[in-house]
Amino acid sequence: MRSYRILVCLLVCSLVQVTSSMAAEMTTKHEYMPGREKAIPHVSGDKEFSNTYQYWKDPESLKKAVDDGLMSHEMNFKDFRWMEKSMEGDMVLEEGLAYFNQENESGKSCASCHGEDGAELKGVYATFPKYNKRVNRVLTGPSQIEVCAKERLQRDDWGPDTRPNSLIAFYVASLADGATINVDTSSEPMAAAYERGRDLYFKRVGQFHYACSSCHTPPTAGNYLRGQRPTTFFGDAAQYPIYHFPYQLAGDDYSYVFTMQHQIRSCQQLSRMYQGKEGSASMTDIEVFIRASSNGYPMSIPVAEYNMNTDYLERNIDQ
Amino acid sequence: MSNKSCFQLSAINLLMRGVAIVMLLGIGFVATAAENEKPQWVPGQPYPPELLDQYPCHSYELECGQLPPPPIEKVEFNEELNGDPDRGEKIAINLRWGNCIACHKLPGHETGSGTVGPSLVDYAERSLPYSYTFQRIWDPRVVNPDAHMPVFGPNRILTKNDIVDVMTFLYATK
Ligand code: HEC
Ligand code: HEC
Repeated sequence: MRSYRILVCLLVCSLVQVTSSMAAEMTTKHEYMPGREKAIPHVSGDKEFSNTYQYWKDPESLKKAVDDGLMSHEMNFKDFRWMEKSMEGDMVLEEGLAYFNQENESGKSCASCHGEDGAELKGVYATFPKYNKRVNRVLTGPSQIEVCAKERLQRDDWGPDTRPNSLIAFYVASLADGATINVDTSSEPMAAAYERGRDLYFKRVGQFHYACSSCHTPPTAGNYLRGQRPTTFFGDAAQYPIYHFPYQLAGDDYSYVFTMQHQIRSCQQLSRMYQGKEGSASMTDIEVFIRASSNGYPMSIPVAEYNMNTDYLERNIDQ
Repeated sequence: MSNKSCFQLSAINLLMRGVAIVMLLGIGFVATAAENEKPQWVPGQPYPPELLDQYPCHSYELECGQLPPPPIEKVEFNEELNGDPDRGEKIAINLRWGNCIACHKLPGHETGSGTVGPSLVDYAERSLPYSYTFQRIWDPRVVNPDAHMPVFGPNRILTKNDIVDVMTFLYATK
């Protein structure tokens, strides 16, 4: 009797094992969207993805493409994302500067270390995220601001998803307006962070089982997602943080400024993925990947995510 | 290896019996009450963010970061199409339900839609089999492993009924 039960058990077990290993084989193949291996940490990598790079690789090409009458989606939507500066955004920078200069109880501010109005921080934002030896961690711009605020100014409430942090990040980024993005992924630990971030970017997750790349590579990129216009992951980081009126991230008040970390969360929420914690290891890796994908492109701050011109919606696009 | 999983199987067995006994005793009420406190997604409403960690996610720390993808579901459909086309249309154009319009032009909705997928305006005229269409919507990975459509069936975004209604809408001739 006993051996009979063991036999049945063995049989069932091997069956269970066969089916579960089959399932594993069937599914792991589909865990990533294709294309990871083609990505490189430079804006020209777009050539492998969208065939639009020639139209927006520099301001002259973009201007020519617009004059030639190309449509937004044929330029990977870079025309309005990148060309025009935002007046409203400019006004918000004043608020960022006020936080930058705001003294704590002992009379210290960001300016105490980084010069009046951030004179010492020109161009710096174009190199973030960056490995910080002292804290032994890769830091995004907002995470660096958090570390500085906590350690030097005893401000524990200036974390990455707070208003002062986002507005300071916006201001500091504006000091790099025109600087060429240069996130150095040539050595460890940044090289590994880039690769992990790239894998996460192509990993299918969430209720829809989408990857970031589901929308940010063709056919979704370069097309219209209802009224929205997703682009490839090259070049756009050059405008972040970005003025995002009229949309705010649910439950927060950033004065409509989106850092890259907010944007990632916003896309996660939009596509029913579990939202990451800003500044966490995985979210930082994703930002390393996105920002390094803009290497070689000039920063343009402040610009607005949404232009109010919606002509493109009226046009008829047949495919 | 198989010895170990045998043990697991019988352990689960024991556990199930335990659960059955607990339920018989009425202790199950506590569990159900706790279950009810979790928010539920109402189609057409925003998806409660706190429910999303049941699917794979990006995190290195949370369990959802290690979850495998939902198994691919191959489905059959040999029935008549007698759903509710009006309800189907609602599902197809609602941003927080089927949202087909995000990517496809739909019958009666030629403007303002997305352009990611092929137009479905004349879908009825193309006489594609119901079984193909049902599978495409339920789990597109069977047709195209790298499909850009959501996995509506496996992750319970749409029920079978919902999909039949959407199909009834798509196949209805104007
Ligand atoms: C369902 C589609 C979808 C998915 C999935 C998606 N995004 Fe987006 N994303 C968009 C759209 C659309 C925009 C353009 C902004 C807008 O219209 O809201 C955008 C904008 C962005 C931007 C700003 C640059 C740009 O292209 O304008 C970044 C960065 C970004 N997404 C990153 C991500 C990351 C990281 C993920 C994964 C966690 C992700 N996205 C997943 C649709 C998506
Ligand atoms: C995020 C984009 C997206 C969404 C949302 C979407 N689709 Fe699709 N659909 C596609 C794409 C892209 C294709 C083309 C083939 C492919 O990539 O899988 C497609 C193909 C199809 C096809 C096959 C067409 C053919 O010619 O064979 C049908 C039918 C379809 N979709 C129906 C639907 C329905 C119904 C819904 C909503 C319940 C929906 N889709 C939602 C992107 C989408």
